[in-house]
Amino acid sequence: MSSAFSFYLTTLLVYLGVDILAVWSLNLQYGVAGIYNFAWIMFQAVGAYTAGVLTLGADTGNGGFQQYILGLRLPEPLPVLLAGVVAGALALVVGIVALRRLRTDYQAMVMLVISVIALLVVENVTGLFNGPAGLSLIPQPYGSLPLSTLGYQWFYVALTAATCLFVYLFVHRVTSSPLGRALRATRDNEDAAQALGKDVVRLRLFIFVMGGAIAGISGAVLILFIGAWSPGSWAYVETLVVLTAVIVGGTGNNFGVMLGALLVPVAFNEATRFIPPFGRPGLVDALQWIVIGGLALVFLWFWPRGIVPERRRRFPGGPLVAPAEMTDPSEVT
Amino acid sequence: MTGSLFVQSIGFGLVTASILALASVGFTLQFGVSNILNLAYGDLMTASAFAGYAVNHAGGSIPESLAAGAGFGALASMLLNRYVYRPFVRHGTKLFGMVVVTLAVGIILQNILLGAYGATFFSYSFSTGRQVHILGMVFDTSQLMIIGLSVVVMILVQLLLTRTRLGKAMRATAANPSLAQASGIATDQVTDLAWLISGALCGLAGVVLVLNTSAFQSTTGNDFLVIIVAAAMLGGVGNPTGAMLASIVLGVVTEMAAGFLTPSFKEVIAFGVLVVVLLFRPTGIFGQGATVKEIPA
Amino acid sequence: MEQARESAAPGEAILSVAGLRREFGGVWACTDATFDLRRGAITSLIGPNGAGKSTVVGIVGGAIAPSAGRIVFDGTDITAMPPHRRARAGLVRTYQLSSEFGRLTVLENLLVAAPGQHGERIRTLLYGKRYWRQQEVELLGQARILLDRFAMKHKEDEYAGNLSGGQKRLLEIMRALMCQPKLLLLDEPMAGVNPTLAQAIEGYLADLAAEGLTMLLVEHELGLVERLSESVIVMAHGEVIATGSMPDLRRRPEVLNAYLAG
Repeated sequence: MSSAFSFYLTTLLVYLGVDILAVWSLNLQYGVAGIYNFAWIMFQAVGAYTAGVLTLGADTGNGGFQQYILGLRLPEPLPVLLAGVVAGALALVVGIVALRRLRTDYQAMVMLVISVIALLVVENVTGLFNGPAGLSLIPQPYGSLPLSTLGYQWFYVALTAATCLFVYLFVHRVTSSPLGRALRATRDNEDAAQALGKDVVRLRLFIFVMGGAIAGISGAVLILFIGAWSPGSWAYVETLVVLTAVIVGGTGNNFGVMLGALLVPVAFNEATRFIPPFGRPGLVDALQWIVIGGLALVFLWFWPRGIVPERRRRFPGGPLVAPAEMTDPSEVT
Repeated sequence: MTGSLFVQSIGFGLVTASILALASVGFTLQFGVSNILNLAYGDLMTASAFAGYAVNHAGGSIPESLAAGAGFGALASMLLNRYVYRPFVRHGTKLFGMVVVTLAVGIILQNILLGAYGATFFSYSFSTGRQVHILGMVFDTSQLMIIGLSVVVMILVQLLLTRTRLGKAMRATAANPSLAQASGIATDQVTDLAWLISGALCGLAGVVLVLNTSAFQSTTGNDFLVIIVAAAMLGGVGNPTGAMLASIVLGVVTEMAAGFLTPSFKEVIAFGVLVVVLLFRPTGIFGQGATVKEIPA
Repeated sequence: MEQARESAAPGEAILSVAGLRREFGGVWACTDATFDLRRGAITSLIGPNGAGKSTVVGIVGGAIAPSAGRIVFDGTDITAMPPHRRARAGLVRTYQLSSEFGRLTVLENLLVAAPGQHGERIRTLLYGKRYWRQQEVELLGQARILLDRFAMKHKEDEYAGNLSGGQKRLLEIMRALMCQPKLLLLDEPMAGVNPTLAQAIEGYLADLAAEGLTMLLVEHELGLVERLSESVIVMAHGEVIATGSMPDLRRRPEVLNAYLAG
């Protein structure tokens, strides 16, 4: 394969890995636990920024054109791990404050407002993360290894894959355990779950933090690949892209949402890349967003459970009668 | 921190509050009657502003542009609810699904405008008129017009809701749709009319918003959406009077924050206020309906 | 440190409720509820509509906070205890409206109800399947026994949301039983259930009582009440107006008045 194509492919694979982490995290919060986290993008952003300011050296370097906090030049993989910790901590604070018994659309709004506040604060307090211009010139992790440019790309793909596998271990443990079952019960009927002895508040907070941490890790992987990150990357609508991926792929199903990650952010963005830019500059991008919006609508109408819906858990030793599919296809919790 | 800066901030605040009041009352009416948080509202405002712009660009006067904007907003909103939102609700889409629907519609609308008009800025051509001094505050005549228009419209809306049969039907439908229908109210027609009216408010707000800013583009309305939601939530979603009062509060608070602190922080303050209020009083200052209801005996 | 709890002996009061009051938006739904429930017995709570029965059940279950009053369960004052802790203490309620976990299977609905599961602790993330596998197998056994007893075994892999109304009722009761309750609050378990199934449920409840489970039954159908319970509490206008056995109560003028006056 040509090296240009390899470059393209490796970039695609890294983005896919990041998006897979993203959908797993939102799936835990929304698909499994029923939390309407419209502020999801904020957690990816905080993870990205954390990894950025921990990997970068002091902000006086590079001619001092950026200002930001910390700048500790920590060795890998510390920045990525700390990104997860910080994002999880932020989720803890937000969760304690905002995960109340609000009706679902209201809760989505409160979350949205919180993420807008975060964006405004970052844009205006320039000393934090260099304001609207954002961070750039972030050194590559393990950059001192003797690898060619293309070799480094593949190396990063391997790192991303390893991160995904590591995260999957925990995600799978949640969804396949009684813990996941208790969360799903809370999603389906909070009052009944509480009446049966489940500590709904604690369960929800835990999964919110875990989802937040994974979102943060996804941000870290992304920023260290691109080398830059700015407020333009995390407007509140970005949550919609991930949410569409979850809805399209299959709410509640770890493999389904992976498919969604492949179809929506990745295949979709890449498909439009091959369309020659026509008309005004920005027209193709606008069309892209129109199609994403349209996709969300189509799926919400026809397949609100997604392509690969949540799988039915069966236990060994049961009856042999085949049970019916979930008969309410238009239910989107 | 001079007294005149303080007073002038209030002046700016009143203008912002007027725009916000028009917008948030429309938004909250839609919520009240259809139980939908219409996140496409800001983009409908932008679209209406473009409609007004088309008229203005063809030589129309400001009142004609306002009418065009209001008319466009009314029609577009009503059609949107009738042919997109309501079918989704009847299809079984739950509350959160509807949020995603409205967000998707908004994105589609915004990008249609972007595709059609490009990313450049536009402005209406009109004269801002001379400056008028009132109580130490300085206004352009156009700003006074905005405030005046808002006051008149708010009064009309209040009269509509409290004194007319339509208004009563709207309130009944908002409070309890099935009961309203059982009492003989044609809820679908009432809802369509409610969306026409709130859509007109949306359109007016859109034109007025861009008259007050020097230039606008396809994202202008959407940028304003969050503060509209804030005003509606602060006043209690579904409560038009609450929205009006909340708009005054938020309008003045944001401009005063802009005057005394950095302008860029003004929105943060407003939203911070909102989040704090919601956390202690999730129903907003005046409203009900935010918490999951208990079933009393 | 938890107060030492000594289980009440049969015949003693497992639940004592005193002076419960609760208002909703200016209306007093419950003005003074005071009663005791004897351990090992089925007690029924009856009264005309609006008497405050569901409010009392809601308060005892923990979903509604009382404006005043005191609840003592099995020797512990639980007035301020949150609902999920009451369930863990052995006080379990069922709901009038269907409250199944629709997107879980019937079997999962039962499994999730069991208390004290290791697999639900957060440390399951670190330890993995072996941490909870044994307990899960035991719970599966218990759940299947229940399913068999209530003749729902063939539905074990069905989504609970797909069940018929009557089946959901049975699921509600089975789920409550998986909690190993000391006291079961049944809020109108027969509402909307066809007569054949109602009879079956009555049979199940009688069997459970014979095995020693204490129950508080909110019910309208007086024949059922008389057959199942030795002790009946009558509420009207938000307060307890009489307690006793059904034949006893039939002769009391205040009870008759309450029903006639509505």
